[in-house]
Amino acid sequence: MVKLLRLFVIIHTVLLATACGTKTSGNDGAFRVALLTPGPISDQAWNSSAYKGLERIRDSLGAEISHIQTKTPAEFEENFRQYGAKGYDLVIGHGFEFQDAAQRVGPEYPNTIYVTTGGSGTGPNIAALSFAFDEPSFFAGIAAASVSQNGVMAVLGGTELPPVKSSFAAFEAGARSVRPDIQILTAFIGNWDDAAAGKEQALALMSRRADVIFQNADAAGLGAFQAVRERGKAWIIGANADQNQVAPEVTLGSVVIDLPHAFLLVAREVQDGSFTPRVVHLDTKSDVVRWVPNPSVQVLSKMVTDHIDGLRAQLIAGTFTLPMASAP
Amino acid sequence: MELLLLLTPFLEASLRTATPLAFAALGELVSERAGVINLGLEGCIIAGCFGALLAAGIGGPAIGFAVGVLSGMAIAAVFAIFVLVLRTDQIIAGTAMTLLALGLTGTLYKVLYGASGAALGTPTVGPWAVPGLSAIPVIGPALFRQSVLTYLLYAAVPTLAWWMHRTGAGLALRAVGERRAAAEAAGIDVPRVRWGAILFAGAFGGLSGATLVLAQVGTFNEGMSAGRGFIAIAIVVLGRWSVVGTAMAALVFGAAFALQYLFQALDVQLPYQLFIAFPYVLTLVLLAVVRGRTAAPLELGLRDGTR
Repeated sequence: MVKLLRLFVIIHTVLLATACGTKTSGNDGAFRVALLTPGPISDQAWNSSAYKGLERIRDSLGAEISHIQTKTPAEFEENFRQYGAKGYDLVIGHGFEFQDAAQRVGPEYPNTIYVTTGGSGTGPNIAALSFAFDEPSFFAGIAAASVSQNGVMAVLGGTELPPVKSSFAAFEAGARSVRPDIQILTAFIGNWDDAAAGKEQALALMSRRADVIFQNADAAGLGAFQAVRERGKAWIIGANADQNQVAPEVTLGSVVIDLPHAFLLVAREVQDGSFTPRVVHLDTKSDVVRWVPNPSVQVLSKMVTDHIDGLRAQLIAGTFTLPMASAP
Repeated sequence: MELLLLLTPFLEASLRTATPLAFAALGELVSERAGVINLGLEGCIIAGCFGALLAAGIGGPAIGFAVGVLSGMAIAAVFAIFVLVLRTDQIIAGTAMTLLALGLTGTLYKVLYGASGAALGTPTVGPWAVPGLSAIPVIGPALFRQSVLTYLLYAAVPTLAWWMHRTGAGLALRAVGERRAAAEAAGIDVPRVRWGAILFAGAFGGLSGATLVLAQVGTFNEGMSAGRGFIAIAIVVLGRWSVVGTAMAALVFGAAFALQYLFQALDVQLPYQLFIAFPYVLTLVLLAVVRGRTAAPLELGLRDGTR
């Protein structure tokens, strides 16, 4: 019995020692940045691009990085707390859907800066990145309308998040600015993972003679690329990341958010202490959002690209604003 | 006129969507007829997806299908050990298997394919039109311009129905699910029958996943099974635990999904959530309306060896 007790004490001591060991090893004063994504980082879109941003922070600023994939709002909060408790300097919640969790957890960990991508919530240590994703979406609409032969196009989303909705509205406005009579179908998959459903939905849209599909569905959107690649006679447009290489032969271009650029911008400010909590507006002018035509296919006429370049220059100069009559 | 033109693509999509659901549901059916409810089916499907992707990238689609089937069986084997050897609760063990497989495949995918993923580079099997039959107007392309997996399904349904009702082994399977004690008294090796049934369900679950990757999407992503395992379990209930009924119920589900896709493409100005809910609302309605003679196997879900 005494032996057993002694063994127990020894085990306990060892455990305590190791526990203390891990605690001290983490706090060496390094700049530490964490990223929460709502989906897998292999989606070649929204999440993959954010992870590249995190890696850029590590490579450029020498930061210690951590990434976690979360699904439910309860997990958003839980992981925001975890990183706050561990004393991370910057925690990025990647998406509009993280703002409520940031508002709740932020005040509990004042030494950690919480940034959400999308949204508009701010606080003493809470900031938001706001992307003018509608600007390049408008240009994509112009480009798409110029190649549509049937006069029918489609937008295909994961779920109807506000940024997705406004991007689709801008795409439609862009298309109508050059072809007022064009028909645009709208469909949502209902999630961001079901690639098979993404493919079937794209096929259904193509059976309705849609010949350009602007998809914004992350991993589920890969199914839409596959549908267009197999069926042909249509173009697909990528979103969030440069997806021109996913299916180069059928991709018209991508509406890109340069997340690595945006993340680095914020992380640099946080690291040197100059960061002030605010909504950081990132647009065409700051070159964080871009319409990137696919270089492997030369289908856009010079007239169209010149028209887009002209509008882009006017947008930067402030002499042109998006006609967003149809925006929500 | 326009609606008529949409009929063939709709029917094609129905069968395409029904195929992986039918495989998974037929597997679950066999397992349930032996008295084992396998909530790990979703896990078998995602394991099949991942196994198929991994192996097809190395050895082509045929190897991909084989490994997909084996991956499903591997998850099922772990489930069988818990349920038949350790005699844990079927519901809990099955749920654990699904969570395990979803996590495991996600982690392995990240480790093996990195942040860039597998892209769309996986070799796939496309549709193959049956000469002659696919030329029949309207239904020809729908039934006979599919992937070989759908044709395999055409063969599997009558074979399975015959096996279950016309062979001694089929009778043994049903006996184990209905009256375990009587089956034992009649000299049937109950654990062996259940092992066989669970592994069969795993194989068909794996095949379902392999179909998703190799005959449909051409890539993998975490959680791409997207609840199909649970839908398959509902399909078995809807099919009233008969082979033909289950196949028909899978087709109804496939059609409901295809109709949902089509509704959205028709640009009807209604909230899209209504369309997405449609297949599930339909299930509830059908479950309430359709009444068969048969009920669930009597031994279904009972813990092994508790009686």
